[in-house]
Amino acid sequence: MAIRTTATHDLGTPGELPPEGVARARNRSPWLDFHVGTALVGAVAGFVIGHYIGVLIAGHDINVDNNGQNNVAICLSLGFGYLGWMAGIGGWNYPLAKMIGREPVGELPSSHWSRYFKYTLDHKVVGLQYVIGVLLFLFTGGLLAMGIRTELLNPVHHIIGPDRYIELVSEHGTVMMMMATSIVIGPLGNWLTPLMIGSRRMAFPRIEAFSFWTFIGGYMIILTAMPFGGFPTGWTGYAPLQTQASGGMDSYLCGFAVIGLGMITAGFNIAATVIHYRAPGMTWSRIPILTWSLLSTTSLLMFATPVLVMAGLFGILDRTALTAFYVNEHGGSSFLWEDLFWFFGHPEVYIMALPGFGIVGEMLPVFTRKPLFAYRVGAAGMIGVALLSFFVWQHHLFDSGINPDMRPLFMLTTELISIPTGFIYLVGMGTLWRSKIRFEVPMLFALALYFNFLIGGITGVYLSDVPVDVTVHGSFFVLAHFHYTIMGGLVFAFFGGIYYWWPKMTGKMLNKTLAKLHFWIMFIFFNFTFFPLLIVGLLGQPRRVFEYAHNLQGLNDFSSVSAYILGSSFLIFVWNFVWSTWINPVPAPANPWGSRGLEWQTPTPVPYWNFERIPVILSDPYRYGEPDPPPVADLGVPIGAAAAAQSFAAEVQLGLDEPGGSFRG
Amino acid sequence: MGRTARLGVFFSLLGIAIGLCVFTAMAWIGSAPPTVSFASSQPKGAPVQLHLQTVGAIGTGAHPDWVSYLTQEPDGHWVGTTEWDIPASTVVDVTLDEYDSGSPLRNEYLGLVGAATVGGAPGEGGVIGGLENVNGKAVRVVDGYSGNGIAHTFSVPDLGINVPLPGVDGSSSKFCSEPAPCPTSALHNVITFSFKTPASGVYRWQCFIPCGLSYLYGNGGPMATAGYMAGFIKVVS
Repeated sequence: MAIRTTATHDLGTPGELPPEGVARARNRSPWLDFHVGTALVGAVAGFVIGHYIGVLIAGHDINVDNNGQNNVAICLSLGFGYLGWMAGIGGWNYPLAKMIGREPVGELPSSHWSRYFKYTLDHKVVGLQYVIGVLLFLFTGGLLAMGIRTELLNPVHHIIGPDRYIELVSEHGTVMMMMATSIVIGPLGNWLTPLMIGSRRMAFPRIEAFSFWTFIGGYMIILTAMPFGGFPTGWTGYAPLQTQASGGMDSYLCGFAVIGLGMITAGFNIAATVIHYRAPGMTWSRIPILTWSLLSTTSLLMFATPVLVMAGLFGILDRTALTAFYVNEHGGSSFLWEDLFWFFGHPEVYIMALPGFGIVGEMLPVFTRKPLFAYRVGAAGMIGVALLSFFVWQHHLFDSGINPDMRPLFMLTTELISIPTGFIYLVGMGTLWRSKIRFEVPMLFALALYFNFLIGGITGVYLSDVPVDVTVHGSFFVLAHFHYTIMGGLVFAFFGGIYYWWPKMTGKMLNKTLAKLHFWIMFIFFNFTFFPLLIVGLLGQPRRVFEYAHNLQGLNDFSSVSAYILGSSFLIFVWNFVWSTWINPVPAPANPWGSRGLEWQTPTPVPYWNFERIPVILSDPYRYGEPDPPPVADLGVPIGAAAAAQSFAAEVQLGLDEPGGSFRG
Repeated sequence: MGRTARLGVFFSLLGIAIGLCVFTAMAWIGSAPPTVSFASSQPKGAPVQLHLQTVGAIGTGAHPDWVSYLTQEPDGHWVGTTEWDIPASTVVDVTLDEYDSGSPLRNEYLGLVGAATVGGAPGEGGVIGGLENVNGKAVRVVDGYSGNGIAHTFSVPDLGINVPLPGVDGSSSKFCSEPAPCPTSALHNVITFSFKTPASGVYRWQCFIPCGLSYLYGNGGPMATAGYMAGFIKVVS
């Protein structure tokens, strides 16, 4: 292997700016630059401009005259608002400068806290921005869930009413689904991927920042649904209800399109990074299991999400330009939406499940001090799940009047997918087998995932059977099933991941007592909330309906009170998060869990360029329990000396001569 | 910044966040249509006098172009709502002033009085006598293809109530074109009928004529929003 060392002045910022671009990097007050405040101004300005154009175009349309609902103006407001938001954060600066032939302004490494409010090229900052972003989604969706459970306290006396209730359910479902697609890919995927594969950057740092600020743009768009009258369709947005719904439906369609854009770009970026930016020696059989899970997830993001974006665009056209993609009488088909939506929607289930298994797959060897059992089987299982997930979508339509002959086929494919899922599950069980477990907080969350997902998975096998599905379709049984998989799996994994990697991400240790309190309340009351809903579903309570049979009130009340306590557990997390990170920070040890992971071999805080030199990977990260395991990597410099790497002038890099080398500076 | 200052900042931000959430929730819940109560002021056993209007466009509020029902409160004040508290086991005498234009029915079955019941025979629904009075004339069936057609219905499926409301001439110079409530000088039909409330419960009622103008199939907008062409009868014991 030929290794060439180049001096710093040849080195660009993570955005691959040429030296003259770096030379033009601005070093002025952060508040005179683009930041979230200017983004908000841009969003409002774009919204107003879009609305004005919409009124000019369609203000005197007969439909607008008749019902007062100008969908053109709403969609253009949201579209221009998003463009203004991205302009205000500086997202268009680079492409626009390139388009007019000017050399873009670069970014200097900064430790000022204002970088968390800006369009930045540092994947670690973007990762932390994503943490706050997904928590914003999570808590918004959680508050809406509290509203749902409050309405269901009594079958007769109503606080919210039927219209408001379905709007609440729809908004909750959509916000949570949007959040769940990015809850791991965004924060942990962006923060950890380069560190885990020995790269000094993401493949496309600007696209990474673009995906985050697009994600937040989508959040704001979906929130506008409520002032626009909400949408009555649930998160699935079925036509023809979609076509005839009020203005909130435009927010749903535009919001999903924008979020989809963020998901696609995030997926491409992580996939490109993993494929092209691995350090020498980081062979496919050595990449961490989390990276495998992220890679398989990105394949779903790249190939399934464009279908959602286009389906949403068709819906927008039906509502604004009066096309008829989903209008049966005019040559379209409402089934088209259902098919396109679920062609994305079911792979999305695995977009949410796979990263969770990747996270716990990282934790189990650390806390059992055993190698990851059947690593290759686990990786194969993840690829198998990703592949098969494209062939199961019609099981969501068993009860919709599809050709009955299609049912057995999709029942079979759905049941088939439980096989690779079983592989992944067995990797966890095999690792736990006869191990001495350290019950640290992250490990508690990992174990909880296996418990919860078992219930979610087994109920899923039942639901894949046509006779069961047609019986419990649209009931709380289905609702409880997917909450067990998504919240019981992914959200538990996310919190486990946060507790596990937070010391690395911030250099601060979260309070252990508060963390355990958070875990136990969350685990117990998650099950108290959702297990009764399996029962009321079997007893016939329908989803998305604000009333129910009187005899189900006891179970519903038990679930509602449990949901309140479950919600309060997140307040403990927030307090711990703020207290331990900002108000009373406690420095974390360099490697508090004793992990062999490459990310833990870097200094804390991690330098701007991650590694002072590109590491050479020597072994896989799971060789626990061996008497004298080889080091994971040759980092080239003693740990700690890399602190100097934060000095931009002192940066050096390794260039690799071989094709497929890890860095193209 | 010291620890106390950080705590101050945190709790200030938390307070703002909670305040925003509470404000949003209250504004959102508060935007639901009000309930007119006929239960509290009603002498026990006396019939409830329920006076309603249907108008082509309500003219005010968030959706001024939407077709809507209005309710007259016991004090004579008109409100744009479709939700009422009514005592149980009580006769309700409904007077309905219909100011909107009509059209033929897609489903002529809806022209039968009291027919919107599950399993019940036409004329044997919850409307007392199986008859409605249109401008003083008792009718059992309204023909959607005669006159000005049918504008709306007042239908409560769980109570077996279906009352078709004949429309008025939409091209007449006396057609109500001002914000609701429409004055009695405007062209309108007066429909009266009675029904008896059952034991306590919440009963959804709905106009069954797809009248959400410029919505796909006519079923969006006012047809899908409580306070316009749908609502709830809350029968209280």
